[in-house]
Amino acid sequence: MSISDRFAELAHIRDSLGAVEADPSRIVMEKILSPTEARIAGKRTILVGTNNYLGLTFEPELLDAACAAMHEQGSGTTGSRMANGSFAGHASLERDFAEFYGVPSAMIFSTGYQTNLGLLMGILRPGDKVVLDSHSHACIYDGCRISGADFLAFRHNDPEDLRKRLRRLGGDAEGALVIAEGLYSMLGDIAPLAELCAVAKEYGAWFMVDEAHSFGVYGEKGLGLCEEAGILDQVDFITGTFSKSLASLGGFCVSRHPEMQLLRYGSRPYIFTASSSPANIAAADAALRAIRTRPEIKDKLWANANRLYDGLKGLGYELASTVSPVIAVRVPSKEEGARLWNALLDEGVYVNLVLPPAAPDSAALLRCSLSAAHNFEQIDAILAAFKAASAGSDMAVGASAQ
Amino acid sequence: MSNQTQDLDQEIMQTVLTHLARFPTKSEELNAQTDLSADMNIDSVNMMELLMEVEDTFDVSFPLNMMANVNTVQDLADQIKQLVENRP
Repeated sequence: MSISDRFAELAHIRDSLGAVEADPSRIVMEKILSPTEARIAGKRTILVGTNNYLGLTFEPELLDAACAAMHEQGSGTTGSRMANGSFAGHASLERDFAEFYGVPSAMIFSTGYQTNLGLLMGILRPGDKVVLDSHSHACIYDGCRISGADFLAFRHNDPEDLRKRLRRLGGDAEGALVIAEGLYSMLGDIAPLAELCAVAKEYGAWFMVDEAHSFGVYGEKGLGLCEEAGILDQVDFITGTFSKSLASLGGFCVSRHPEMQLLRYGSRPYIFTASSSPANIAAADAALRAIRTRPEIKDKLWANANRLYDGLKGLGYELASTVSPVIAVRVPSKEEGARLWNALLDEGVYVNLVLPPAAPDSAALLRCSLSAAHNFEQIDAILAAFKAASAGSDMAVGASAQ
Repeated sequence: MSNQTQDLDQEIMQTVLTHLARFPTKSEELNAQTDLSADMNIDSVNMMELLMEVEDTFDVSFPLNMMANVNTVQDLADQIKQLVENRP
């Protein structure tokens, strides 16, 4: 394929989104008004697709810490930690993560995407075996692909299917890497981590969990679903991002293996990229403190999630999973998904429109992500918008109730 | 070519065509030379689903990275045959 052929292919994707008026690139937040509101096309709009789970992006503590760090240390680091050296903030944030998880190793990366890429490219080599959940995020697939390892998928959230695939690997199962996520970002369903971990360990495999959407949200301390599943002492690598609950930009990997830190010497996405800016580090550090000291934020998020979930169910919408901070409404076709998405925007509510292949079963998803910063009046306004949007469609109120 | 090998070839091709039949194709007919990407436009998720079904049917491990060498239905059948023949 030539470059011009590729441009033609991309133009086709753009045009097919345009044909159903579902091009997300046309959405511009003209002014951010709060963690939960922005002005879009001149209209004040409630944001229900930000992944800003704890709603900390406008928290005075974070803003003050980020501004102070920028004034003290500058606007950027202008290079990688290997070449330019680490700032004190990078090292202390890594110590904070290690201490919070009670593990010897923590590394931070410049984005969440690069965290998984950095871990996987750093630990895997051609010929290594990886068995990953089929719903894994693109950065997990990309990390495996670039590493040159042999990687295969097991059926989503199915420990017995994982067992079958490890068995087929024979002697290669020992030392293989099994990968799952905590909360899956599209359907909002959670992994049976204790069961998956038990199967991985039964075969002598390593176990990695991406807690990008579950860190700060699950577990008594907010460490995520590994904490909730009681497997923190068994899971080998936990990754996460700063760009959701931590309201910043970057990512982290923690491990019970002290050797994980050796990736500093052989992980290309760690070595060959500029380190996180002082403002990003200070904001993530302040957010981490908030998670550790203010568990009530998490409680507020769950109250909002429960209210929206019950309300949507009451309206007859088909929901993709049990209640979580990600509530995905299933819509039978991408045309109907786009129509509802635009109708919600007209009503002043922004959700994520997810189309195949990101949405399974050729359906579309209207993906809502809740925030602790939403209030009940906003949740009720979101429900009113869903009620108005469904009028006159096959998904009219009550039509798909089951 | 022995009868046994021919039987295996046919079984694999038939299974692959059966699994692929549920996807729409731009060509008139689905056959060994059909291009999975250009003619069928199978997306990454459906391709992965197809491979999991192939693995279960033939009790083999088919790593996704092996798809780098697969363009046509025949390429896919050849890769599966190689895995079946090398099955431990």
